[in-house]
Amino acid sequence: MKVLTTGPRCFSQRDIGEIEMKVIEIDGLKKSFDGKIALDGVSMTVNQGDIYGFLGPNGSGKTTTLRIVLGILPADEGKISVLGKDLSSWGNELGYKVNALPESHGFYGWMDAADYLRFFGKLYGIQLTVGDCRSRLSQVGLDPKNLLPISTFSRGMKQRLGIARSMINAPEILLLDEPTNGLDPRGRRNIHDLLLHLNTENGITMIISTHILDDVERLCNRIAILNRGKIRYEGALADSSSRDCIRYHFRVEDAQSISSDWNIPGISVVESREDRLVCQIDGLSPAHAIKSLIEAGMPIAEAEQITGGLEEIYFAYTRGATDE
Amino acid sequence: MSSLSVLIKKECAEDILSSRSIYFFLFASGLMSIFAVLLITNRELSLLDNAQAVYKMTTIVLALASLVTILQGSDGFAGERDRETLEILFLSPLSRKGLAFAKLGRILFSWLVLFALSIPYLWAVGSTGQNLWPSIYILFITGTLLVLALGGIALIVSARTATLKSALFISVIVFLILGSPAVLGASLRQTGIGKMIDLVDPFMDALNTIDSVVIDSQGFDFQVLRLGIMALYALIVLWFLNVASRRIRL
Repeated sequence: MKVLTTGPRCFSQRDIGEIEMKVIEIDGLKKSFDGKIALDGVSMTVNQGDIYGFLGPNGSGKTTTLRIVLGILPADEGKISVLGKDLSSWGNELGYKVNALPESHGFYGWMDAADYLRFFGKLYGIQLTVGDCRSRLSQVGLDPKNLLPISTFSRGMKQRLGIARSMINAPEILLLDEPTNGLDPRGRRNIHDLLLHLNTENGITMIISTHILDDVERLCNRIAILNRGKIRYEGALADSSSRDCIRYHFRVEDAQSISSDWNIPGISVVESREDRLVCQIDGLSPAHAIKSLIEAGMPIAEAEQITGGLEEIYFAYTRGATDE
Repeated sequence: MSSLSVLIKKECAEDILSSRSIYFFLFASGLMSIFAVLLITNRELSLLDNAQAVYKMTTIVLALASLVTILQGSDGFAGERDRETLEILFLSPLSRKGLAFAKLGRILFSWLVLFALSIPYLWAVGSTGQNLWPSIYILFITGTLLVLALGGIALIVSARTATLKSALFISVIVFLILGSPAVLGASLRQTGIGKMIDLVDPFMDALNTIDSVVIDSQGFDFQVLRLGIMALYALIVLWFLNVASRRIRL
């Protein structure tokens, strides 16, 4: 059976119920700029090994939250703990444990990629050899023999170099602000694969701030939705998908098998035509619903989600948001 | 190698490799060449006393040093902010204070390059006189103190302004205010207020010190008060820079 969904991420150890260690805990975070409230009591928890999707419309406070967690901006109120230690007690040492790919990741255009990595390596006290630089550039899919200045790089190349820079100190936590913004579909897919690889192979906990839902569906296991400075939803991505009604389009191998006296709890037929069905799934996870249908004798050949899931959750929790 | 020295090295490399700095040093060399040629060959200017010619050249060097200091100081944080590179520097383990003093290191490096460039020109106009070496050492001392004070002020402004344009605008105004007593008439400068302004203005202190050493051939002990005031300015500005570095605007 082929299930056409938006392509979930590879699940890591923390999806199968191992002990969760909290790496970032935020409680009652408040921040305002010139009297205008940017964050109004934000509370969230990121566990070790998570790829945590931080969603919200433009101006909802995502970047401000990340900057506060990174120690770049001071908070007005609230408690923040990073790797079990209060943020204020980290000082400059935080830079060795946490790194980020900010949305505005400018580059020194006159440097080449290897010089750029070498410079940031030295800032962290790491001496990178030519071989080290080449392997790091190869890891992110950049040509290590390219000695052209960064000013000649495409946006995708700069994004990859930014990720290589953010990995320079082998951080335990990586914060990424709009990591695929402005990339073409192939470029986005490549960045997704790279981030998944870093999460599964290197065990890096990631927070991805984005409003591109495809990024979240492909990468994240947990999400928070921020709107107007408040967390409106926080939980596992799977929970959010099964939270409300979802419509699925099924194709069955044998049209005769579609029963006229349908009685499967939580699944109702919306439309039936030849070998195709449109069903509304309510209160079940998609996987559970498909299993129930197969057990009821439906030879399902193909399943495709047509409504519901993250997008509808996102719209529900960000209702009334306007771009600022 | 410490993070601070890595950043200073990068700043200096940027100074040498970026086209803006190369153009500035070419401009400075061109200006000093033209002025040196005029001092030697122009009918009226060649009649100047040797000490006067050296004094004129040192003031040109000081003016150029002030200009490059204002430009680089304003660019220090505001330029990085405009180029969107400030946030990634904040992410590194380098402290904000370290970042501010690395920027000041770059300004001092540019001053040293300009000073080195000016020596052949000073030699060209002053080698036949007796004040060449005193003019070189007093230019170095006053120039360094002036660059520290002006550079610190420009960096403080740059740390708190939103854009490079506004940082440049404010820094240039500060520079014009400090330099304005130089255009006061001689009679006005001889009054009590004029003398007071001459004494408390670091720019005027630099010019008067060079005048005293190069033209009047006065010794170092005559310069202690003015140099002390300039050093005090530099120390106060560095202290304020240290405070301002804790609140660099992102």
